[in-house]
Amino acid sequence: MRLTAWLPLAVLSAFTVLGGAATRPRYGGSLRVEVRAAPASLDPAAQDAAPLASLVFEPLVQLDATGAPLPRLALSWQRDPSAKRWQFNLRPGVRFHDGLPLVAAAVVASLQAALPGLSVSAAADSVVIHAERPMPGLLFDLAHNGLVFTHNAEGGFIGTGPFRLASWTPGRTATFTANDDYWGGRPFLDAIEVQMGRGLRDQLVDLEIGKADIAEIGPTDLRRAAERGGTVWSSAPLDLIALVATPGRGEDPRVRQALALSIDRAAMHNVLLQKQGEVSAALLPQWLSGYAFAFAAAPEVARARAIAAALPPRDRTLALSYDPAVMVARALAERVAINARDAGLTVLVSPLNPQADLRLVAIRVPSLDSARALAGFAAALGLETPGPALSSEVLYESERKLLEDFRVIPLFHLPDLYGVASRVHVFPPPPIARLGEWRFENLWLSETAP
Amino acid sequence: MTFRTKLLLLFVLTVVVAVVLVGAIVSAATRRAFERLDAQRVAALVAQFQQELARRKHDIARQVKDIADADTTLAMAIDISRTDADPAAHVDDARPLAAAHNLDYLELVSSDGGIVSSAQWPARFLYQEDWVLRRDDWNSREPFLKREELPSETALALVCVRVASVADRKLFVIGGEALDREFLSSFVLPAGMRALLFRDPQSVIGASGPVPETDPLAPLLEAIRKQHDGEVARTVQWSTDAASAEAFHAIPLIGPDGELMGAFLVGSLRAEQVRMQRFLRRMQILVAAGGILLAVLVSLWTTARITRPVEALATGARAVAAGDWNAQVDVRSDDEIGVLAATFNHMTRQLLEQRDRLVQAERVAAWRELARRLAHELKNPLFPLQITVENLQRARASHPEQFDEVFRESTATLLAELGNLRGIIGRFSDFAKMPRPQLEIVDLNELVRESLKLFEAQMQAAGVTLRLELAADVRAIQADPSQLGSALQNLALNAIDAMPSGGTLTVRTVSEDGGVRLEIADTGQGLTQEECDRLFTPYYTTKTHGTGLGLAIVQSVVSDHGGRIAVRGEPGRGTTFLIDLA
Repeated sequence: MRLTAWLPLAVLSAFTVLGGAATRPRYGGSLRVEVRAAPASLDPAAQDAAPLASLVFEPLVQLDATGAPLPRLALSWQRDPSAKRWQFNLRPGVRFHDGLPLVAAAVVASLQAALPGLSVSAAADSVVIHAERPMPGLLFDLAHNGLVFTHNAEGGFIGTGPFRLASWTPGRTATFTANDDYWGGRPFLDAIEVQMGRGLRDQLVDLEIGKADIAEIGPTDLRRAAERGGTVWSSAPLDLIALVATPGRGEDPRVRQALALSIDRAAMHNVLLQKQGEVSAALLPQWLSGYAFAFAAAPEVARARAIAAALPPRDRTLALSYDPAVMVARALAERVAINARDAGLTVLVSPLNPQADLRLVAIRVPSLDSARALAGFAAALGLETPGPALSSEVLYESERKLLEDFRVIPLFHLPDLYGVASRVHVFPPPPIARLGEWRFENLWLSETAP
Repeated sequence: MTFRTKLLLLFVLTVVVAVVLVGAIVSAATRRAFERLDAQRVAALVAQFQQELARRKHDIARQVKDIADADTTLAMAIDISRTDADPAAHVDDARPLAAAHNLDYLELVSSDGGIVSSAQWPARFLYQEDWVLRRDDWNSREPFLKREELPSETALALVCVRVASVADRKLFVIGGEALDREFLSSFVLPAGMRALLFRDPQSVIGASGPVPETDPLAPLLEAIRKQHDGEVARTVQWSTDAASAEAFHAIPLIGPDGELMGAFLVGSLRAEQVRMQRFLRRMQILVAAGGILLAVLVSLWTTARITRPVEALATGARAVAAGDWNAQVDVRSDDEIGVLAATFNHMTRQLLEQRDRLVQAERVAAWRELARRLAHELKNPLFPLQITVENLQRARASHPEQFDEVFRESTATLLAELGNLRGIIGRFSDFAKMPRPQLEIVDLNELVRESLKLFEAQMQAAGVTLRLELAADVRAIQADPSQLGSALQNLALNAIDAMPSGGTLTVRTVSEDGGVRLEIADTGQGLTQEECDRLFTPYYTTKTHGTGLGLAIVQSVVSDHGGRIAVRGEPGRGTTFLIDLA
């Protein structure tokens, strides 16, 4: 599978690096971070704990800005020509936060849960992974899902990352302190204080008044954050924003087709999303599949109107539910409604309506392997599981078939966006990795306290 | 219908008519008063509405002008006029501006008609508002009514357009306020009145929200649509209860192009008026009922004063007619009725005296008639007696040798005449001491046949035809067959005597009124009315012979049997005797 380079992120990262190079890195300080997620525990496998987990846990491999795999806990790796057998050679000198060395057995134990269906075994200082079928994208899977951990006596998770968990109040606060024995060198920061469960509006205010150094922001707040002299970090477009039909409701595909043809994605992207992310009519983002552009995204209002006119009047009204927790969901839903009106459809928008015909959802890219990602999307969206994809053409055809009855109408792929206070500086690599992981070991603060 | 009833009806009619008339006048006056008051209130409310509308127009125009003249708006206009203008830069600007200027609606529209920012519908960015490009004189135009499309409804708004110009580029500022519940809540309404807003085509709202049931308003709304150049008035019935009626005055709301946007409805409940009218009606009924009761009492009292004496007089007259000539009317009053009663009493007393005198006179006449009859009856046998005795005297004196023969002839004559005298006296005696009838069950028809059989030979000799019409359903009666048969024979004999030249004797029996009637009719010479009146008087007779007691005896027998006998006759047409027996 060929990955598309994410140039904007590279440019942004370069800009950030250039901007930060003027100040000398200094040790010390506590970084204040705010997030919406409120995980109950720092579970490496939990989706909502993902960015926090990346402070504490590490995978065998990581991806650079271009998506190319780089060594992390694995110093090197080999695979057989069929890509069914992989061997990863562990980096020496790595210790868990409890002081115990990183051994293959511990890696095997943590990878077995993350890679179901694969055979993971230890071989001296190596880890061997077997599969029945070829795994050409295993490196991306490991980078995305293969965090290595062990357990302490209390059953808690222990990692090898640049920061160790100092305190955890479920759903409220978490404090991470620098791992002085980190194999990559002690982080510049002494600590990272995370406020969990904060709304976007509150995070933006805290960022503006100096109570937070890093906060999640929505696309609509991009301009505001930039106007106040801050920086914006983003990941690759990881979140699929799509309209999903509720099973058992609105069985006539013509309604969904008319709706799909009426949506003006470009206007929404330009105004509501402030050109962040990408317009997409495909499940897989362009940077992952390389063929997303082949799915037509432009509106065809006249055709939509003709299709809607042929529908019985009672079928021209749809209920659209959105999750207020999804960024700009309400604005997107209301814009979809107004676009649908142009086609002669009536879309009634309401939050968290279980009886709705359609839902506006945000789904994270499940894997960096295109086929696994498509299967993951299909499973998450209640679609038929696609068959094995042996080529891009087959994968494209599978994806096209999944979307042909318009049960899912992809709209955009959005990145994670963070507003960053001016006192935060970064040294390469980029602080927000391709898949949204936090790489804060190279962050430093220009002053200890604002 | 009695006089009392007539008087009562007259009084009742008078009362009812008066009450109805007064009630109608009062109802009409009340209705007019309510209508006047209602018209005044409606006029006041309409004036209030006009004033409020004018005030809001002034406010909106000022606010929108302030926005259009603001530096930030100018900066926005400059910003969006650039060729590389970012449409997202100002997409959220309208909402805080609208809030700051207390406007419900605010849209910022670029010079090509595209919406830059919409406060009321943020998702409409980049949509076209082409209507705003059709005029150049927005800055001098007054605020106007407009239908405002919203996500969930179409509202009625009072909007104003002002233009912020940058070189040849314009930024249209379209601001306004909703004519909604809050607008209606600003009115001070008298009790029983309300203000509604009709937003064409269907929506009707009040100060508390949408009017739930608008079907009764359909005729009013239709009238507004047809005649939207002037006020419309209709009364709407919300339910079958008359008190639910509500009178509406509608002032149409016209848009800038003369199209109907909606209407301001002033509703005035008729409940108070209906309650008043119902109260009046109840009072009417109560007064009418009271009046009728009073009329009944007055009429009873009045008629009692009039009709009682009249009834007493009528009763007295009936008593007199029934034969009680001693009837007196007890009416003591000084008016005409009293005079009438006194006169009546005097009349009955006079009648009584005259009857007594008449009875005495008849008694005297009857005694005279009896004496005459006796004299007549007795004279006939006495004269021969006298001649015979004189013959005896002459024979003894003149012809002693013939005295034995003369003595035998004379004594025979004397004995015959003496027998005749005894017969006459016997009949008189019989009439005087007629015995009571011995009643038994008698078949009247059979009695008739038996009694008349004796006269068959006599009738045949007289040329009289007997015709029996005896009804078969005549029931048996209680009678003395001997006396009744004698009475029948007497009547038959009289009938035969009345037809010396022959004729027809008809004897008829019939059941009548629970009793039986016996008719004996002849075709003889008939009777005059006077003869009919006196026929049953003892010793009265129309014959040259007879004692005149026969019909008196018949009447006595019929009377003893509890019956009645009457006679009908006309001279030359025969005579009919009618005997009714129970």
